Amino acid sequence: MSVLPAPLAPTRPAFLTRTTPAARLVAGTAWLVAAIVTLDPIVPARLFLAAIVALWLWSGLPLRRIPARLAPLGFAILSLTVFSILLSSANGDRSLATMAQIGPARITGPAISAGLAIGLRVVVIALTTLLVFGPSDPTRMADSLVQQWHVPDRFAYGTLAALRVAPFMAGDWATIGAARRLRGLAPRGPVARVREAGGRLLVMLVSAIRRAERLALAMDARGFDSGVRRTHFRELRTNWRDWLTIVLSFAVAAAALFVAR
Amino acid sequence: MTEATTGRPLTAVSPPSIEATDLSWTYAGRSRPAIEGLTFRLEAGRVLLVLGPSGSGKSTLARALAGLVPHVVPGRWQGGLRVGGLEVAETPARLLGERIGLVFQDPDSQLVMSRVDDEVAFGLENRAWPRPEMVSGVREALAQAGLSGFEQRSTVTLSGGEKQRLAIADVLAARPGLLVLDEPTANLDPPGMYAVFERLAILARRREHTIVLIEHRLEAALPLADEVLLLDDEGHQLAFAPAGAVGREAVELLERSGAWVPRAWRGAQPAASGAVEPAVERAASGGRAIEAGALLLEAADVRVEYPADESGKRVALDGVSVSVRAGERVALVGPNGAGKSSLLFAMAGLLRPADGTVRLRALPRDGEAAEPMRDPSRLSARELAARIGLVFQDPELGFVAGTARDEVSASARAIGGRDGTSARAPDEQGTDGVLASFGLGHLATEIPFRLSQGEQRRLSLAALALRPPAVLLLDEPTFGLDRRGTEAVLALLDERRTAGQAQVLATHDPRLLPACDRVVALDRGRVVFDGSPDAFLAAPPYAPASPWRDGVALGRPAGSDPAAIPRRGAR
Repeated sequence: MSVLPAPLAPTRPAFLTRTTPAARLVAGTAWLVAAIVTLDPIVPARLFLAAIVALWLWSGLPLRRIPARLAPLGFAILSLTVFSILLSSANGDRSLATMAQIGPARITGPAISAGLAIGLRVVVIALTTLLVFGPSDPTRMADSLVQQWHVPDRFAYGTLAALRVAPFMAGDWATIGAARRLRGLAPRGPVARVREAGGRLLVMLVSAIRRAERLALAMDARGFDSGVRRTHFRELRTNWRDWLTIVLSFAVAAAALFVAR
Repeated sequence: MTEATTGRPLTAVSPPSIEATDLSWTYAGRSRPAIEGLTFRLEAGRVLLVLGPSGSGKSTLARALAGLVPHVVPGRWQGGLRVGGLEVAETPARLLGERIGLVFQDPDSQLVMSRVDDEVAFGLENRAWPRPEMVSGVREALAQAGLSGFEQRSTVTLSGGEKQRLAIADVLAARPGLLVLDEPTANLDPPGMYAVFERLAILARRREHTIVLIEHRLEAALPLADEVLLLDDEGHQLAFAPAGAVGREAVELLERSGAWVPRAWRGAQPAASGAVEPAVERAASGGRAIEAGALLLEAADVRVEYPADESGKRVALDGVSVSVRAGERVALVGPNGAGKSSLLFAMAGLLRPADGTVRLRALPRDGEAAEPMRDPSRLSARELAARIGLVFQDPELGFVAGTARDEVSASARAIGGRDGTSARAPDEQGTDGVLASFGLGHLATEIPFRLSQGEQRRLSLAALALRPPAVLLLDEPTFGLDRRGTEAVLALLDERRTAGQAQVLATHDPRLLPACDRVVALDRGRVVFDGSPDAFLAAPPYAPASPWRDGVALGRPAGSDPAAIPRRGAR
């Protein structure tokens, strides 16, 4: 009874699906740094446009499904933007012109600009993450980190196995809640609710640990981490597309930061 | 990390013989050994079926053969176990791992990777195979498991049977000489089980592996076996014998230990069959006609949808109508993904249907008018708990208390009096009485999570005993239980049913069907059958039908007549 939507995956081969995840991680970092170091909305706005173009032309991801996947984040971004604008200290500065008046709240130009900058920055971070992780599945990311950056197997594939188990925990959480309701346990009041959530969490952790133990035993039985240097079924090597991606993303980040506005 | 091991096991390891000499193992922190004094010799290339009740140490033996015991799991080892001439306790786990493939019960906690070909390659990467050999190894292993063409599939989209065949491909890829399978079909629906046994039959016929099989599905497993090892509930060896020549005394001891026993053996043992007639048959032989008790639960035209990918909604239930009356036991069957769990959740008001209605009511008391039918999703938790209960496949997820005693009294304390009006806490005496009647009296202060699988199942039923709900829903209530455990659960259910409780059992086990009054079969979210167990078993509404029929008729699955399987000499 899976209630989780299918993960976003490329529907066609594209430029970025042929790059290695490690290279995309480097390229994406340039954009994240550029988006974070400035306070005005111009730089994130430029990166936002660049990210949309890259997702559309080179990611292989179905563009139509992206808004739906980001929807849970959408509310957070919207409220973050609105409150940043409303609560900005610039609103108290009498020397600035009033742009809008909502009841007692006076809103100034710099407040709007700062609020938009914060909201856009979160959007850029989300889209960049999608460009880095979206074009290949998590297994490729682990392969890439192990082969290109020599991250320890135990860490990379262990994390990967943990990721695989995560959706089951979501299912367990729902089942535990259902079981408690059917036993007539309906907490009333905040204290009871916290205690109830604690009990539910305990059961979920016990179940998760049992599952992790079984998985670890299965991995051991198949020779994982037995001291042999692993070989790789899927060999990943840094290629010209990686270099082009890194160079272009640094160029775009630099342009977004420094081109006169 | 020695050079010598790199890329070594490229040629198939020849099947090893297995020799146990007075083998015992005690898990760290336990006083009693899990297995004790096992002594047998299995020749290379033979198939061994291990039989025994819960707690007989079957899984421990599997772990020992794979070297997980004693090299990974802590405990005390005594005696000897040689696999292909190597003494397990003295051989590095890595060396053993190259020769032995171990398949576990739960498909979801043994698959590591998200894509099928990566998954098969995982074990080969760990053993440092060169890439070209890996590519061909993955291809061959998938073919052997009947999964050619699945390379690019995501492992989460596979059915249970496909996942278990993938787990078999995983271990076959490394070309082990010894294949150990620990209840590989326990989680599977009959068609999935059938497909796994089909593959095992082919492997057994080839004689390229020594195979140790632990199974509850005896009618399918027995025809594959050359030898059988019988264990009792304390991990002692009852017998080691050719599958066709098990002594009558050993069979009787096995039955008495509470294990499932192949019907073929019991048929020849009139003395034993009278003593321990399974409750499954007893309940069936009662010949209950469906008595028209009061209507307690009615689902009408229920449609349930889940969010899916861009293709829109995934429909779990589509126009399902089922009604359940007082004193009636309904089996809910269907392949994995047919919508059984969704229907149970909708019946319990835990899922609000996109369309259609679910209505239920409490059992009318003598001389009182029945209450009106009500929508479970609108009832308070207390009202709901008095009317309907759900026992989950994994009892652990349903535990709400720190001790077995509190677990039993929790619902009653929450619900209060019978109709949810007076909040009277149950006295300790009543609670302990319930525990005792469920065979859990000595475990009153034990933490529920620390109980065995069978004890946990009984506790999850005991938890509903003080204020029994009018309708009891059970998801795979006999999953993982041996014959004794299954009988105990059915006996408890019989008692409640006599008191008027309506019961709905979602199950994959055809053995349970004769103990039910009615069978409702689902397929892809629709009801495809609603009628008597006899009618269902005579003509299961699924294609192919044989897995459902053979599992219960306890004949042999088609094509696995022991005489029909060519033995090594015949080739």
